[in-house]
Amino acid sequence: MHVLDCDSICCLNNLYGAVNLVLTWRHTIGAKFIMNRIQFSILLLVTLLLSSFSTFGYAAELLPVDLPKAEIIRLGERMYRDGILPSGAPLTAFIRGDVEVDSSAFSCSSCHMRAGLGSVEGGVVTPPTTGNKLYQPYLRPSSLDDIPDRTGRYVYAKTVSERPAYTRDSLATALRFGTDPAGQVFNDVMPRYPLSDSDMSILIAYLEELSSGYSPGATLEVFAFATIITDDVSPADRAALLQPLQTFINGVNEQMDMYDKFIYFNYTPTIDMKNAFRRATLDIWELKGALETWPRQLADYAAKKPVFAVLGGISNRDWQPIHNFCEAQRLPCLFPITDYPVISESSWYSYYFNKGFYQEGEAVARYLNRDSDLPASSRILQIVQDSPAGKTLASGFNTSWSQLEHPDVTSLSFSAQQLRDTTNLYRVIKQYKPAIILLWSDDSPTSELPELLTSLAAPARIFVSSSYLGAKTLSIPDAARAGVFMTYPYRLTPFTGTKEGADSKVPILASAKDFGKRRITTRTITMLMQSALQGLRRLQDNLYRDYMLDVMSMQMDQVSLDYERLSFGPGQRYISKGCYIIQLGKGSEPALIPRSDWVVH
Amino acid sequence: MKKIFCTVRSSFLMILILIALLPVASAQADSKKYKRTVERYSLPDVTLVNQDGKRVRLQTLLSGDAPVVVDFIYGTCTTICPVLSAGYLNLQNKLAAKGLKPRLISITIDPEHDTPYVMKKYLKRYRSRPGWDFLTGSRADIDAVMKGFNAYIPDKMSHYPLNLIRSPIDGKWVRLFGIMSSREFLAEYQSVEEN
Repeated sequence: MHVLDCDSICCLNNLYGAVNLVLTWRHTIGAKFIMNRIQFSILLLVTLLLSSFSTFGYAAELLPVDLPKAEIIRLGERMYRDGILPSGAPLTAFIRGDVEVDSSAFSCSSCHMRAGLGSVEGGVVTPPTTGNKLYQPYLRPSSLDDIPDRTGRYVYAKTVSERPAYTRDSLATALRFGTDPAGQVFNDVMPRYPLSDSDMSILIAYLEELSSGYSPGATLEVFAFATIITDDVSPADRAALLQPLQTFINGVNEQMDMYDKFIYFNYTPTIDMKNAFRRATLDIWELKGALETWPRQLADYAAKKPVFAVLGGISNRDWQPIHNFCEAQRLPCLFPITDYPVISESSWYSYYFNKGFYQEGEAVARYLNRDSDLPASSRILQIVQDSPAGKTLASGFNTSWSQLEHPDVTSLSFSAQQLRDTTNLYRVIKQYKPAIILLWSDDSPTSELPELLTSLAAPARIFVSSSYLGAKTLSIPDAARAGVFMTYPYRLTPFTGTKEGADSKVPILASAKDFGKRRITTRTITMLMQSALQGLRRLQDNLYRDYMLDVMSMQMDQVSLDYERLSFGPGQRYISKGCYIIQLGKGSEPALIPRSDWVVH
Repeated sequence: MKKIFCTVRSSFLMILILIALLPVASAQADSKKYKRTVERYSLPDVTLVNQDGKRVRLQTLLSGDAPVVVDFIYGTCTTICPVLSAGYLNLQNKLAAKGLKPRLISITIDPEHDTPYVMKKYLKRYRSRPGWDFLTGSRADIDAVMKGFNAYIPDKMSHYPLNLIRSPIDGKWVRLFGIMSSREFLAEYQSVEEN
């Protein structure tokens, strides 16, 4: 191979182009054309050989595509994230030789993650795929994970221990044929992509841009953070949020002072230490007035001083304008205290503890779906107070009920004043003759519940939300407690500490005293442990917002004081999935009796 | 003239390449990259929930006179699950071409997130054919099933590629650890079917 004259190289380039053409053509034809095994083998063998040629620098040069840069990045991002080719066709690939996969089911970013810095999951170490990293030689640091099964994480596929820097051409070879510049063959879980030159050029241009500059709000010296407080929040709730946040910021900066002293006294830090300490600032973004004005206020704050992430926040109002702003700005907004998270399957930048009131409505739908005494949907009446909470609870129930393939239930909307007038309630009960009422209200008198229950047909049940009723939950008379079921989205089992070990080991038990508590401080501490310990501390010098979200999404399950279990996964943005259906025992300090599992299917 | 010469040389080169690499290719085909054992499992009698929200008794689902394939995946998984699922789909497609419908079961290892709604969407995304069921359930039941298959992992982020094929004749399971080519997967399936 080393003595090839230019004619031979010309021939090889022609051949290489021909193979590309075949692959592109085959791809364009798609499922209509199925190569037989011999044809496929020939292509594979030829391509294997050509890949070794390219290792020696004989491959055709990959030319840039003649499109505006913004368009190249848009098309490249779509290939990387969604597995869609510039032509709009799905990107196909091969795993393990002949397992054909369609990248609309899983794409580059599924494993290499959105920031392109790779992941560790299922014992598979996926290496970084940004231009910054690829165009440098790679040497894997030795690691304790080299010992199999050290933590129960079986390392099935590791990265190579060493490789030279890629070039654009050797990167194209790697993506097509699965060999690195040293000729090492990739693990089988990495698909091989038969891309045309122009598609390859677009994808590589995107990889070169991916995570190429630090995100706003972060430098090697300091992280800028903000928290968001809206003007409806009481001074007490505001203090409950800010206290743990200020403690966190002070702690980080004190650590940095200590580190500076070490340096002053000639201590030589390791690279890990250099990346572990960074100062932090916290701005408070106060939002005032009408919701419509919030985006402008947020934009002004962000323009004045960009931040790396929004650490928590609190509002009693709709969170949607803040959510939209964070999505548009690609700004992580981490675990705010809100009962109205935005319900979305595609939003990326906002993490929530759970879906708030919506999740409680969902829980009732799932619980009823499993009820062996379930009457027809027509016997279920949903009474909705005309309030954000009432509507959100109803929305969660309706969506879930419909997904469970039940016909709609009757929903009636009433003002708080109408609900205080109990004759109104009895009138609709007489009219609809329900067996089950979903009473999404905090204004209908709980003293009437025993009477209401007797007016229902069997099995005579009323469902309420303990979060919405708050402290009023305890005013449900003993006489009604056998027939009243309620949502409870918090931990019921004794809490004895998280895996991080920063908590008391004395079991903390849930009790009726918890009704109405918003758990602002404890949940903000959980947010900080999540964001700071699980996200920020693993960034090293990769100061990219997307990378922090990637890291947070790939962590193991956690326990917390407020929730039974916090669980993660790529794209999962509501980390507490559960909500109990409970009943109250008798008396002023009643037992909380679970009637469902934490998660109902 | 030079062009013709080039074409001839191209063809020659191709033949040369084929000859040179054929022994390598066949040697690679022989060396399995996955681990195969035959096991007998004692499985818990649990009721799980499928992608249609129907409650299904696992033991009923696994019994019958045709092989059953089981794997463990989850809806938002990266790396391994997509590869396993692509393997399932390829097996379905290859057997469908012969008019056969294999019984495939995926069991979630993320039961809190994987609701019937999520699982149904996952199967749709992979364009699965009927005969591939995705099951969820209580965490305790899922843990018991994983333990029953000697496949328990404390956290979904630690999982590994595993396929299990049950023989309808003796109830034994072929345990396949690693990623198989679709040809290997088909051969393993057929070996269970034929024995």
